[in-house]
Amino acid sequence: MSLSLKDHRVNRTADRGPESGKPLQHTSRRGSQRGGSSIDVQRKKLLVPFVGPAFVLYTVLFIVPALGAVWISLHKWAGSGPMKFVGLDNYGRIFRDQLFISSFGNTLLLLFVVGAAIFILAFALTLVLRDMAGKKIARNVIFFPHLINALVFGVLAGFIFNPGGMVNSLLAPLGVTDPPKWLAQDNIFPLIMVTLVCTTTGYFTTILMAGVDRIPPYYYEDCALAGATAFQRLRYVILPLTWDVFGTCAVLWTISSVKIFEIVWVFGGSSGAGVPPTQSWTAAVYTYVNAFSGQSTPAYGAATASAVLSLALISVLVVLLRRAMRRDAVEF
Amino acid sequence: MGKPARHLRSLAALMGVALALTTTACGGATDASTMADTVDISGSISGQTINYWSMWKDGEPQQKVIAAAIADFEKETGAKVSVQWQGRSNSEKLVPALNTNNVPDLVDGTLAKLAPVIGETGQASPLTSVYSYKVDDTSISEVIPQKFTSNGAFKGEDGQPWMVPYSVSSDGIWFDAAKHPELKDKPPATWDEFINVLDKLKASGTAPIAADGDIAGYNATWFVTSLLRLKGAGSFKALVEDKSGDAWDAPEVLEAARKVENLVKGGYLNSGYNASKFPAQQQLWANGDAALMLNGSWTPTETGSYAVPGFEYSSFQFPAMSDKPASARVDFIGFAVPAKSKNQVPAQRLAAFMLNSKYQNALGTEAKVLPVRPDAPVAAAVESVKAAIDAAPATHLQNDGVTFPGYMEKVFFPKDDELFLGKSTADEFVGKMKAAQIQYWKDNG
Repeated sequence: MSLSLKDHRVNRTADRGPESGKPLQHTSRRGSQRGGSSIDVQRKKLLVPFVGPAFVLYTVLFIVPALGAVWISLHKWAGSGPMKFVGLDNYGRIFRDQLFISSFGNTLLLLFVVGAAIFILAFALTLVLRDMAGKKIARNVIFFPHLINALVFGVLAGFIFNPGGMVNSLLAPLGVTDPPKWLAQDNIFPLIMVTLVCTTTGYFTTILMAGVDRIPPYYYEDCALAGATAFQRLRYVILPLTWDVFGTCAVLWTISSVKIFEIVWVFGGSSGAGVPPTQSWTAAVYTYVNAFSGQSTPAYGAATASAVLSLALISVLVVLLRRAMRRDAVEF
Repeated sequence: MGKPARHLRSLAALMGVALALTTTACGGATDASTMADTVDISGSISGQTINYWSMWKDGEPQQKVIAAAIADFEKETGAKVSVQWQGRSNSEKLVPALNTNNVPDLVDGTLAKLAPVIGETGQASPLTSVYSYKVDDTSISEVIPQKFTSNGAFKGEDGQPWMVPYSVSSDGIWFDAAKHPELKDKPPATWDEFINVLDKLKASGTAPIAADGDIAGYNATWFVTSLLRLKGAGSFKALVEDKSGDAWDAPEVLEAARKVENLVKGGYLNSGYNASKFPAQQQLWANGDAALMLNGSWTPTETGSYAVPGFEYSSFQFPAMSDKPASARVDFIGFAVPAKSKNQVPAQRLAAFMLNSKYQNALGTEAKVLPVRPDAPVAAAVESVKAAIDAAPATHLQNDGVTFPGYMEKVFFPKDDELFLGKSTADEFVGKMKAAQIQYWKDNG
C-alpha cells in the first residue's frame, strides 16, 4: 500500500520535472529501498549497538515503571501486601474527589497563569537586557534564584511573612497596625505563585537571551535604516527568529510546572510536621499524600492513578503546544 | 513495509530483552503476604547476624542509648548487629523493600507510622515469643503496663502482637512553672476551670494559648481529645467508622466542636496563630509571649534550645468534661520484625533486650524521653506527663488510632482546620463532616 502510494508520488514529481520520463530514476529509487546504499546498510548495522544500550536503559528505567504504574493504578494496594484488582475504580474516585479537582485546578493555574507571567517578564527582560551595559552581570543576577533550592524559599517565607516577621515589622512604623494575614491558608497558594514567577523568570530569560543573541546585528541595522519602530523590530525580526527557542521553553515549562511539588510542600505544613493545607495542593502533592503521607494507610492505587492522569495531561499539552507553535524554522 | 518498520522490529526485540531483565529483577515480588509463625527465641544466637534499620540518626540521644544496648547485646549473645541509622524516613524506605526478598530483620518507628506500612498489611512477624520472654526475671508482657496492651493496639489480623514498644510519647498542656507556679500547684481539672484560667490570663494581658495553626495534626488534637473526654476512648474511631454518617448527629460531637469554637471565639488563641508558619508560635510560647500550649511530650526537647533562661517545663492533662474517665494519650515507639526476615530469632531477641531496665532507665534519664517501663525514672521536664500517664485509667492513640487511607488528610484535617482557624462554626463543621464522611465511605467502602 505504502509502496504504491510512493510510486505514484515519485511518478508525479518525475512528470513535472524537466528530466521526466527517465525510467532509470524510478527503478533506482525502488532499488535503494530493497538493498539500500552502502551508507544505509552501515547505518542499519550501527543502529543496534548505538541506540541499543540507551534504549534498554530507557525502557528499564522509564517505560517499564510507567507501565507498572498503570498496572498498579488498576488496584487497591497499600504498597506491600495483597493487591486487589478494582479496574478503573481509582480513576472514577479521583474524578469524583473535589480535592483532586481543586489540586488539578492549581496545577493548571501554575501552568497557564504563572507560565504567562514568566514568559511576558522573561521576554521583556530579554529586550531590556539586550542593549544594557553590564548585561552579563545582570543575566547572572536574575538567573541566581533558580539555583537556590526551593526549601530555602519555604523557610524564608516564615521569616518574612510570619505575624512577627520582616514584612509586618517594616509595616508597623508606617502605621499599619492590622496587616493582612499573609500566611493564612487561602493566601499560601498565591504566595507560591509569586515565588515561582520570581525564581523561574531568570532561567527562561537566560535561554531566550541565548536565542536573541544569535540574531546577526545586520538585521537590526536594516531595521534602523528602514526606520522600523521598536515594536516592528520585535514583531518582524526578534519574534520570528527566536520562535523555535520560545517553543522549546514553553514545552520545558509545561513539563516542569505539572511536577511542581517541593515548594508547595515546604510553604505549608512545614518541616515534615504535617501536610500542607489542601488549598495549596497541586496534582503532584495530591499524588504524594495518597501514597506517602505517613498518617494513614498508603493508597498506591489512587496515587498512581493521579500520576498517570498527570502524565496524560503533560503528553496532551505538549502535543498541542508543539502544534500551536509549529512554524517553519527560519534559517539564518 | 518501509525502513522505519524494520527499525521498529529491532527496537521491539530490544524492548523484549529489557522487559525480561526487569521482570527477573523483581522476581517473587508479588507473593507478599506470607503469614509467619511464632518462633522459639530462647536458643543460642551466637554467630548470627541481623540487619537493623533504625528510625534514629547518628548522634540523637535515643540513638546513643540504642547503640550502647546493641554493643552489650553483641557481647552477651555473640550475635552481630549491622545497623543503618536511617532516620524517620526508614518506614517509607521499608515499603518498597517489603516487595523484595531483601528486607531488614528489624525496624523501629512510631506505631502510627509502622501500623499502616507493616502491621495492617500482614507483613510483620507475630512477636508473641518476645512478650513471654523474660528480662530482669520478668516476662515482657508484665513489664509493659496492661493498659497499653489491653486495647489491642499492637495486634494484627491474626490476633498476635506484631510490635514491641520500648518508648512512649504523650501530650499535655504545657506551661512555664517558674512563671505560673499556681498552675503547677492546682492545675485546672475541668473544662470550666480551664476557661477560668484562660480568662484570668487574658485579663492579665498574657496571650493564653499559643498554637501553630498550620499543623493540622496539632489543631485536630483539640477536637479529638474533647470528644474522647465526652464519649470515652475509642469514640472518635467509632465516629469515623460510621458509614451512614449518622454518628455525627450525636450531641457530644456537636458539644466537642462547640468547645473548640469557644476557644476561637473567646479570643484565647494568640493572635496570628491562623497565619503563621511552624515553629513560630511555639518559639513565641517558649519565649514567654503566651502561657499555654497543647503539644507532645517532646516539647521540652524540641523547644529547649530557644526557651528563655529559667524556663521550667511542666504540663497538665487536657481537662475533663464529663464523668467519663479521662484517658491519657499514649503513642508508641517500638520494634517490628518483617515476616520475610530470615533471622527471626536474633531480631526478636534484640527487640526484647531493649526492655532491660538498664536501657529503659537510660532512655528516661539520658535521652530524656518516656520509657515504656513504668518503673524507669524520667527527666524532670517530663515528670508531669509521666505522672498523668501513670494515673490515667485508660490510654488512647493519636487521632484515636484512625488510619483509614486518606481520611485524616483529605476529609478530617481540612474541615477541622476551618473550625480551629475560625472559618466555620461548630454547626457548620458537623454538617460538613457528616456529608464528607458519607461520601468518603461511598468511595472507600
